[in-house]
Amino acid sequence: MVLNQRNNITAFKFILPALLAMLFVHVIPILTGMFISFLDLDIKTLTQWLSAPFVGLRNYFDIFNSGMDVGRVFMRSLWNVVLYGLLTIPIGYVIALAVALLLNNKFPGRTIVRGLVLLPYITPDSVMYNVWRFIFQARIGLVNKLLLQIGLIQEPLIWLVGDRAMASVVMASVWKGWPFTCLILLSGLQGISAELYEAAEIDGASWWKKFRSITWPMLWPVTRTSLIMSCIWNFHAFNQFYVMLGGDTSSSVAVPSLVILREAFTNLHYGLGSAMAVIMLLVVLLFTGFSILSRKEELH
Amino acid sequence: MTYTNRKKLKKVFLMIGVAAVVISVLIPYLWMVSGSFKSTLEIQSADIMKEELSPRWIPREPTFDNYMKVNKTVRMLDYMKNSLIISGGTMFFSVVISLFAAYALSRINFRLKRLYELSLFSTQMFPGIAFLIPYFILFSKVYKLTGIPMKDTYWGMIFTYTSFALPFSILMLRNFLDSIPISLDEQAQIDGCNRRQAIFRVLFPVITPGVTAVAIYSFIMAWNEILFASILTGRHTKTVSLGLMEYITTQQSRWGGMLAACILVSVPVVIFFTILQKQIIDGLVQGATKG
Repeated sequence: MVLNQRNNITAFKFILPALLAMLFVHVIPILTGMFISFLDLDIKTLTQWLSAPFVGLRNYFDIFNSGMDVGRVFMRSLWNVVLYGLLTIPIGYVIALAVALLLNNKFPGRTIVRGLVLLPYITPDSVMYNVWRFIFQARIGLVNKLLLQIGLIQEPLIWLVGDRAMASVVMASVWKGWPFTCLILLSGLQGISAELYEAAEIDGASWWKKFRSITWPMLWPVTRTSLIMSCIWNFHAFNQFYVMLGGDTSSSVAVPSLVILREAFTNLHYGLGSAMAVIMLLVVLLFTGFSILSRKEELH
Repeated sequence: MTYTNRKKLKKVFLMIGVAAVVISVLIPYLWMVSGSFKSTLEIQSADIMKEELSPRWIPREPTFDNYMKVNKTVRMLDYMKNSLIISGGTMFFSVVISLFAAYALSRINFRLKRLYELSLFSTQMFPGIAFLIPYFILFSKVYKLTGIPMKDTYWGMIFTYTSFALPFSILMLRNFLDSIPISLDEQAQIDGCNRRQAIFRVLFPVITPGVTAVAIYSFIMAWNEILFASILTGRHTKTVSLGLMEYITTQQSRWGGMLAACILVSVPVVIFFTILQKQIIDGLVQGATKG
């Protein structure tokens, strides 16, 4: 017991700096945020924020009230982020899997190619999404130039304004995101023993048969983790929209993070913004719960 | 078809596939590099509808202007300095703090250890937007109450980013430490080292790959962050990722300058990555699959 007590104290000393950082940057702000979400806090009440009018759940009713602008904008942004995920996650995964299967073969220059495909992942978001913003420009952009050359369009398309903006952001994020999934899937593929394939080949199994009965089941744990993580990261989506829309937080394809930024720092409604932020937190916590459960299941 | 023919055909398809992948990865980079050597006039006057004005892969009159004037309209070099200080500071603190915490998680049995692990795992998932508003308000309040400026200061940003980097860094280093036999540091302690010496003299050298991965992860995280930087930085601390957006305003689009700046901003990250590719990949894969 004495030893246990000593261990507790030593461990506490070791994790104290990390614990303080977590306390000040995560725990206290999140609790404060929940508190603010019940207040009518705007720029006028900010100086005396603790005595700002307490409005109970009104902010929450407002952000889900389709009769109000703020409600329509927020619900639209929730739909936008779901749509964004429904497009980028499956497309990104399929590309990543296809390339992982491809790169798992032996060919000259394999190491270089493997390093090369990681480039999009390691290049800073701000750099790459600015470049994609350039590529999607209507009159001077590469996308329209190529589409025109192959005859798919006659007139330049406006990509970054209006509903087509979602398609542009999805394309750019898929391009930026698949290499990481591919990396994880490749490491999963390398963990599959070659003997399994040899045995299947002796039985004369086709490529599809081998994929169905060996590769896919063996990759499933990695796939599951990667998909759950993608769902969580999906709700973090900010950089790609912020940069490609040129910092315009009022776009019709805006995701919640942009809407919250606008509500709090442009419209200066901190209470409403915090209520939206709490909703986002709950959504992410829900998925994190799934992820923890699925890890537990994996261990048993 | 004979066996060798089929093998050859498979090889051809394989190479075509690999080429397609490599090309689609490289196209945006080539376009970026090509654009960075074009004059603003050439980019602005381009028009895909007119054959003679259509933007080209090879600049009509290649120029180094965009690179020479990189600090002129937008103070890009100052932003680079700010980013280097903030990312460097984040890297240092995140390594030191996560090393201690990871050591405790890996080597000591303590109460509520499981709960601490779980809270690390969950905070890593929190979207920044969930605590940006209260964090901003608390920043202002701290200044008001204590007179310590937090907004638009280097250390305010370093503190913020270090805290962002910690959960993933701690879990990643814990994994590395778990793979080192405990007898190593027990022996050191028998030989008269205290715990701190055991960490820095004995364990630190063996887990260099893990430490490197954590260092780079923290650096890149801070270098790339946009959301908090857009609210918490100002004239003195603006970082590169925000600076890049200043080239395009409603009045003027300086695409050439932006693309040249993009290349400069990517350089530190790409250098880091190329030198330490293996460590980073191992670290990332471990972190993503084992958590």
